[in-house]
Amino acid sequence: MLKIENLKASIEGKSILNGINLEIKAGEVHAIMGPNGAGKSTLSSVLAGRADYTVTEGKANFMGKDLLELSPEDRAREGLFLAFQYPVEIPGVSSTNFLKTAINEKRKYLGLDPMEATDFLKFMKLKMEEMEMDKSLTSRSLNEGFSGGEKKRNEVFQMAMLEPKLCIMDETDSGLDIDALRLVSAGVNKLRTPERSFLVITHYQRLLDYIVPDFVHVLYKGRIVKSGDASLAKELEVKGYDWIKQEVEAAV
Amino acid sequence: MNLLEQIKSDFSNYAAQAEPGVFFDKRLEAFAELEKFGLPTLKNEEWKYTNLRKIAEGNFTNTCNSNLDAKTLIEAGILNRIECNKLVFVNGCLFPELSDFLDEEPGVILSNIAQARKNHTSIFDAHFGKYIKLEGEGLNAMNTAMMSDGAFVFIPKGKKLRYPLMITNIVDANSHPVLQQPRNLIIIEASASATIIENYIAVGSNSSFTNVVNEIFVDENASLEHYKVQRAKGETYHNNYTQIFQNGNTNINQVTLTLDGQWVRNNLHFYMNGQNCNSLLYGLYITDGNQFVDNHSRVDHAKPNGFSDEKYKGILKDQSTAVFNGKIMVHLDAQKTNAYQRNMNIILSNDATVNTKPQLEIFADDVKCTHGATIGQLDEEPMFYLRSRGISENEARKMLLNAYADDIAEKIKIPELVQILEEEIERKL
Ligand SMILES: Nc1ncnc2c1ncn2[C@@H]1O[C@H](COP(=O)(O)OP(=O)(O)OP(=O)(O)O)[C@@H](O)[C@H]1O
Ligand SMILES: [Mg+2]
Repeated sequence: MLKIENLKASIEGKSILNGINLEIKAGEVHAIMGPNGAGKSTLSSVLAGRADYTVTEGKANFMGKDLLELSPEDRAREGLFLAFQYPVEIPGVSSTNFLKTAINEKRKYLGLDPMEATDFLKFMKLKMEEMEMDKSLTSRSLNEGFSGGEKKRNEVFQMAMLEPKLCIMDETDSGLDIDALRLVSAGVNKLRTPERSFLVITHYQRLLDYIVPDFVHVLYKGRIVKSGDASLAKELEVKGYDWIKQEVEAAV
Repeated sequence: MNLLEQIKSDFSNYAAQAEPGVFFDKRLEAFAELEKFGLPTLKNEEWKYTNLRKIAEGNFTNTCNSNLDAKTLIEAGILNRIECNKLVFVNGCLFPELSDFLDEEPGVILSNIAQARKNHTSIFDAHFGKYIKLEGEGLNAMNTAMMSDGAFVFIPKGKKLRYPLMITNIVDANSHPVLQQPRNLIIIEASASATIIENYIAVGSNSSFTNVVNEIFVDENASLEHYKVQRAKGETYHNNYTQIFQNGNTNINQVTLTLDGQWVRNNLHFYMNGQNCNSLLYGLYITDGNQFVDNHSRVDHAKPNGFSDEKYKGILKDQSTAVFNGKIMVHLDAQKTNAYQRNMNIILSNDATVNTKPQLEIFADDVKCTHGATIGQLDEEPMFYLRSRGISENEARKMLLNAYADDIAEKIKIPELVQILEEEIERKL
């Protein structure tokens, strides 16, 4: 589904990603962990198409297409979704209108007719129930005045509405209370299918207790320096990152 | 003939056969001011960015002849969707066929000025020319000396105008360049209330200059909703001076929407002549091509406990230019004043220009005032967020600009007018 090869990216001349290699196949769940400032959000931003970053080298292929050539909107329409670490508040843009526009623009791209207003509302209601979303949130402006946790839950709700092929979740668990974490994880698990893949960025094992990854990668200084299965996350929880940092420094 | 020569010639024709009286004296006085000061030039601080040269040199004709029929005028944009009292003027003269009043409350007077001068002479003479400043204001003097017809509104004590009054001024520049000088006089007595909409449109390919003066008096405990919608397309030059004189405990909500017009200057002046005045001034301008739009405002907090909130927002495209100059004057007497003022601009092109100057002059010591201005592009973060959900750049931009403009649209209390504004925004963007 996604194949990243030797991806390097910089911002304002400062190199942040220093050669990422990663392959995600349909239905897989990959977790990325790593210390603050390692480049995790940068990787997700580069994949989603944020213009601030310059890709200096490397390739990313998504569903047979050169991902890096696509506009951010076309990446989304092709089925890539990024749940942001810090979702932005957009006063004056209604959540409902936003979702309807997003869904219909994607349908147009795929050559489908727009969804009828009533069908859309039914679909939204269904997804809200599935994700256990509070109705009042979607009647407000997009993320405006939402609490940190509400914003994160709204990201997962949007993900459910847009039915992507690859879900990149950037610290969706940070800032969630225990119940919300359970709800979000349950929501994500409902979205899991044999075709849909996940790239979950997190600092904590507790999310991975709910969403069990097939692979765990450690990102450090813009490189994936270690990969393993779910047990790697448990090991990191106990030992922290120092031993990995030392391994990396020793290898240099 | 340039504009001033034309006005002088028109005035001497008028003076030769005018009846003596209060009205004539006012106009004579105005004419003298005009001769003394002339028209403002770039040397005048208040006109630093606003060049009148094209107008001053223009060869406009001051007659109301027009062959347009009612149907054409309606199609030109009379805003028929709003259920309201209507006064329609074409090239400065009343168009009776489209003028129509729904309010029939005894004591309420809705009329054109020409009629009101005859039928309500004492009220007219008591207020006409009383509020507007002529000294150093050449265009106000010019309007007063050689005014066209306009609206006369009188809402007596405790009465409420049930339907809004829409004053539509249409330029018909099909056969020649047009000069019109609408003059409106609005008197709202104590505890009365009214809603007024000014609607400006234009047809025809010749140029035009519209020079409006509004004198508005709002007595104690009264309230006013005032909207100005500028949609006069083509080579139109438009100057509007609205003077609002408010006594104590009055509430005024004023919204200025500038969408079309080659050259537009709005002057808005609130004078708070009593305690507890509440004045809201909101504006939205969306400019494209080489439009020029200047919003000048001044709020005089002359008495204590006044509140004013001003917010003007602009969206600029192409090579257009906007000027904002807002002055809040807090007089020595005006303790406990709360005054807020903001001007925000979003520039969508490298060739657009904004000159903004928010000003506070405070002579009282116990006041709360803030002001500020911003000029920038659309924020990148929301833009990326929307695009990352599959929404095209164009659509995302539209959504964000609509949200930005909604902030002003929600100050409009007439739903049909909000809807019309939304359509206009859609058209302009
Ligand atoms: N706009 C920017 N200008 C300069 N440096 C930046 C910019 N954006 C990110 N960086 C730097 O890039 C590095 C990687 O940042 P990134 O946000 O990807 O880290 P992260 O792994 O997501 O960290 P965290 O776990 O704290 O979220 C950091 O050192 C950060 O300061
Ligand atoms: Mg991060």
